[in-house]
Amino acid sequence: MNHDIDIKEIRKNCFRQSKVKGEFMLQMRVPGGIVAAKHLSMVQHIAETWGNGTFHIGTRQTFSLPGIKYESIDAVNAYIKDYIREIEVDTCGVDMDVNDAGYPTIGARNIVACIGNSHCIKANIDTTALARKLESIIFPSHYHIKISIAGCPNDCAKAHFTDFGIIGVTKTEYDYDRCIGCGKCVEACAHHATRVLSMEQAKVVKDECCCVGCGECVLACPTGAWSRVPTKFYRVMIGGRTGKKSPRMGKMFLNFVTEDVIIGIMKNWEKFSAEVLEHKPVYLHGGHLIDRAGYHKFKEMILDGVTLNPEAMVAQRIFWAETEYRSNINVLPVATK
Amino acid sequence: MNGLLVHETRANHNEMIPTAHEVLGVVRETETEFTLRVKTDAEVHHGQFFQISLPKVGEVPISVSAIEDGFVEFTIRSVGKVTGELLRIRKGDRLFLRGPYGNSFPIHQFRGKDLVIIAGGTGVSPVRSTLRYFYQHRGEVPSLHFIAGFKDDNSVLFREDLELFRQRFDTIYSLDHDKVPGFEVGFVTEHVKQITFTDFSDYNVVIVGPPVMMHYVALECLKEGASEDKMWVSFERKMSCAIGKCGHCKIDETYVCLDGPVFNYSVAKSLLD
Amino acid sequence: MSYTVSFERMNELIQSLQSNYKIFAPVRFEKRGRYSDTDMVRYANISCVEEIVHDEKSDFSPKEVVFPVTQAILYFTESEFMESRVHDKKILIFLRSCDIHGIRRLDNMFLRNGNVADFYYKRLREKVKFVLMECHDGWDTCFCVSMGSNETSDYSMAVRFHDDSLEIDVKDEEFEPMFGKEAQSDFTPEFVKQNAITVKIPDIRDKDTLHEVYNLPLWQSYNSRCQSCGACNAVCITCSCFTTTDVVYSENGRMGERRRVWASCQHEDFTAMAGGHRFRTTPGERLRFRALHKVYDYRQRFKTEQMCVGCGRCDDRCPEFISFSAMINRLSEEVDKLNEVKSK
Ligand SMILES: Cc1cc2nc3c(=O)[nH]c(=O)nc-3n(C[C@H](O)[C@H](O)[C@H](O)COP(=O)(O)OP(=O)(O)OC[C@H]3O[C@@H](n4cnc5c(N)ncnc54)[C@H](O)[C@@H]3O)c2cc1C
Ligand code: SF4
Ligand code: SF4
Ligand code: SF4
Ligand code: FES
Repeated sequence: MNHDIDIKEIRKNCFRQSKVKGEFMLQMRVPGGIVAAKHLSMVQHIAETWGNGTFHIGTRQTFSLPGIKYESIDAVNAYIKDYIREIEVDTCGVDMDVNDAGYPTIGARNIVACIGNSHCIKANIDTTALARKLESIIFPSHYHIKISIAGCPNDCAKAHFTDFGIIGVTKTEYDYDRCIGCGKCVEACAHHATRVLSMEQAKVVKDECCCVGCGECVLACPTGAWSRVPTKFYRVMIGGRTGKKSPRMGKMFLNFVTEDVIIGIMKNWEKFSAEVLEHKPVYLHGGHLIDRAGYHKFKEMILDGVTLNPEAMVAQRIFWAETEYRSNINVLPVATK
Repeated sequence: MNGLLVHETRANHNEMIPTAHEVLGVVRETETEFTLRVKTDAEVHHGQFFQISLPKVGEVPISVSAIEDGFVEFTIRSVGKVTGELLRIRKGDRLFLRGPYGNSFPIHQFRGKDLVIIAGGTGVSPVRSTLRYFYQHRGEVPSLHFIAGFKDDNSVLFREDLELFRQRFDTIYSLDHDKVPGFEVGFVTEHVKQITFTDFSDYNVVIVGPPVMMHYVALECLKEGASEDKMWVSFERKMSCAIGKCGHCKIDETYVCLDGPVFNYSVAKSLLD
Repeated sequence: MSYTVSFERMNELIQSLQSNYKIFAPVRFEKRGRYSDTDMVRYANISCVEEIVHDEKSDFSPKEVVFPVTQAILYFTESEFMESRVHDKKILIFLRSCDIHGIRRLDNMFLRNGNVADFYYKRLREKVKFVLMECHDGWDTCFCVSMGSNETSDYSMAVRFHDDSLEIDVKDEEFEPMFGKEAQSDFTPEFVKQNAITVKIPDIRDKDTLHEVYNLPLWQSYNSRCQSCGACNAVCITCSCFTTTDVVYSENGRMGERRRVWASCQHEDFTAMAGGHRFRTTPGERLRFRALHKVYDYRQRFKTEQMCVGCGRCDDRCPEFISFSAMINRLSEEVDKLNEVKSK
């Protein structure tokens, strides 16, 4: 068997090299981690026809099908055409050609999301809807970017550890007259969040500065005195990553921005990447690009033409805190880049 | 009015509005307790209480500790917001009152029968007016035993009255631990036995004090032969309206502010929270 | 007399009514529900029929119209009390049969318990006239039929909603002239005849049984479930408890008000006295207190029907999926067992 395969090209097609020579794992996009259950029969068919009979629930919520022989790739690609059309084009509105060649790129990674407010009692946003909207903006792009969307600041989707982490936050409104002064919200805030509520003259006062927008007060209130304002708000974390060298938790870039702002910055993403990488989409993730450009340059480019809503807050500076597996790992000889 | 049935003679009477009353005098009883003498001509019965209020601070239920011509007295322990602020009241100040509320000790039923009054700590306050009444009308009861217990020498209330009561009643005053002249040592429960009853079952017995104290004293009295239906206790519950609306004082179908605070023991023992 | 009235025409009538009336009905507050992207339906002032949510059960009851969540009762300066004022309009409430029964229960609590009527309740209540909203099947948590609150004739007007018109049965002479020109109809409101759930009121016959009921293990089973949030009290049409507090207006420390705010018997400090002594310290004991009030205590006190009207809102609103109707049925079963033992 001739195993002269350009694995980089195959990877771009979303097939990952296996330790078994000549075998690959297909990674299928599931934007927001949710699709109709009927697609599982497609997964089963691929696994049993071309793969090794199993599938892995990818760490980035893909359908990952290991054990696909190099020789089967064309057949698999032809088979997944309908799925790609239904999910990418029909559901997410991605502007792309759907043909027998499979996924056009691996660059922009599958968008991860928690289940969101279609199910979760704590969620503040519809993570699925947002994932699908963003999919149409970032895909297909050869530039590498990882996005995670969490429905609330509990961040089950780990938006803190990804290039762009989007977290649903809420602006709450307090109806003074509906409040019975029971203190349940005060307890809830202290227990789950940042202790910004307190009782004063048998009603509640809030230290606006440090509210994380989780909505626990709304959940706790027996009378509905606290409610979420209908507009949805988001927090954006940037530069989080895992990795061997210098994993780090992302830092807050924006807080209490509206969906328009999210859409706006994601639309600027590709341009920013292209400029930083001099139009060569090498395998380097978003967080590293922000490092290369420097936060201020990043901020300027990513917010270019974006109108911030009045409630929006923007980080003036970012102080990264990396885990350095070798001390001063960032201190490099001038020659290295 | 849409067929509403209202048991209300004073059609638009607003019971929640308090009236101002002059404070005629203040007596400091202990470090935390004090007695306010307040001018009023209201008809008040022994064991009833008023809602006393200080505008902007709040309103609290307080029993009358004396009922005399032209004034009543309240004896208050300073424990919180309102009672703490009341501590600052001086002679000549005005106090806001509404009431009196609640039922009272059945004085008419006490007449002609031997009477035992057992009180602990601040519980002496709600029975003090009854004691003062029988002090002035000593002939109305053949005998009156008064057992009063306090924690220590510093928490003894109504020292003057206690001395007067010694003269006309059979008294046992006691402190939980301290040895002080004029006082025995021990809990009130232990002193019930000391009374030499002829037939306890025919005595009227009044027990007022903290819930645990009332419970054990009542059991002791029953053991000594007292009759359940001739025993009375006075309850304390959180109250917010005193007129049967707010629900705070409710115990099963009973509203302490309306049906109490005085309960016959045969009723009290089966009240279920 | 009954009429068919288009929404358009009804809105004109509403407009003219508004000169004398404040009109309250269940209104949708979009996305203001407890969970994200859920609505809240509660009573509010309306100015057109389209605002009325007639095909959903409201999350909160109409009690807040006559018993506001927060109500100033007195204002004070340094040394004077002044009675709070209330608007001078009359009140029309769109509500269902269960809620009309519920307001009758509140009448008992506020007007008849004790020997004085509550001034603040009475002054609002006297203004009220009912517009019955016809109920066809109710919802899956309703048990009005079991509680006998499914039917009523206690209303000024009754309405049935169609897509763009309503039928209206006008019983009150005051409103009759307004409808003189409208097309007559033979509408009389129908009532729910059967609910998905049936609830049996416990047959507690004596104090002895009551004592045993207090000690049933049933109550303890709620200790790990109920979070004592008090939502069941807040939504209940018949829960009437409140707390009185004084507040100072911070702009001017010398002025303030005494106000009344709803209270919940499920909250830990409902019975807390100075010094921290409390009665009913576990969620189970507090739920027992509430349950018995709803199906036993109130009935004993007023010698009438039970307090609960079976609106099922407490079931709908409980974040822990505790079903009050299931609780009462469990209780009834236990009481039946106790009664059986006794009869032997
Ligand atoms: C019928 C009746 C008669 C009474 N007679 C008298 C009397 O004659 N003399 C007298 O001194 N008192 C009497 N009391 C008790 C008196 O009413 C209370 O002490 C008073 O209401 C306390 O009010 P406050 O504002 O001073 O305290 P607050 O500051 O209001 O404190 C009491 C309230 O605060 C809360 N609280 C206080 N401490 C704690 C704690 N440790 N943990 C949790 N919550 C707490 C509770 O909600 C409690 O209701 C009587 C009570 C009743 C019901
Ligand atoms: S939980 Fe609601 S009612 Fe209770 S104090 Fe907070 S806002 Fe007020
Ligand atoms: S029963 Fe449910 S609604 Fe009521 S206090 Fe408990 S958890 Fe809250
Ligand atoms: S107890 Fe529940 S079902 Fe009964 S009236 Fe109240 S909220 Fe409605
Ligand atoms: S104190 Fe309000 S009902 Fe008794």
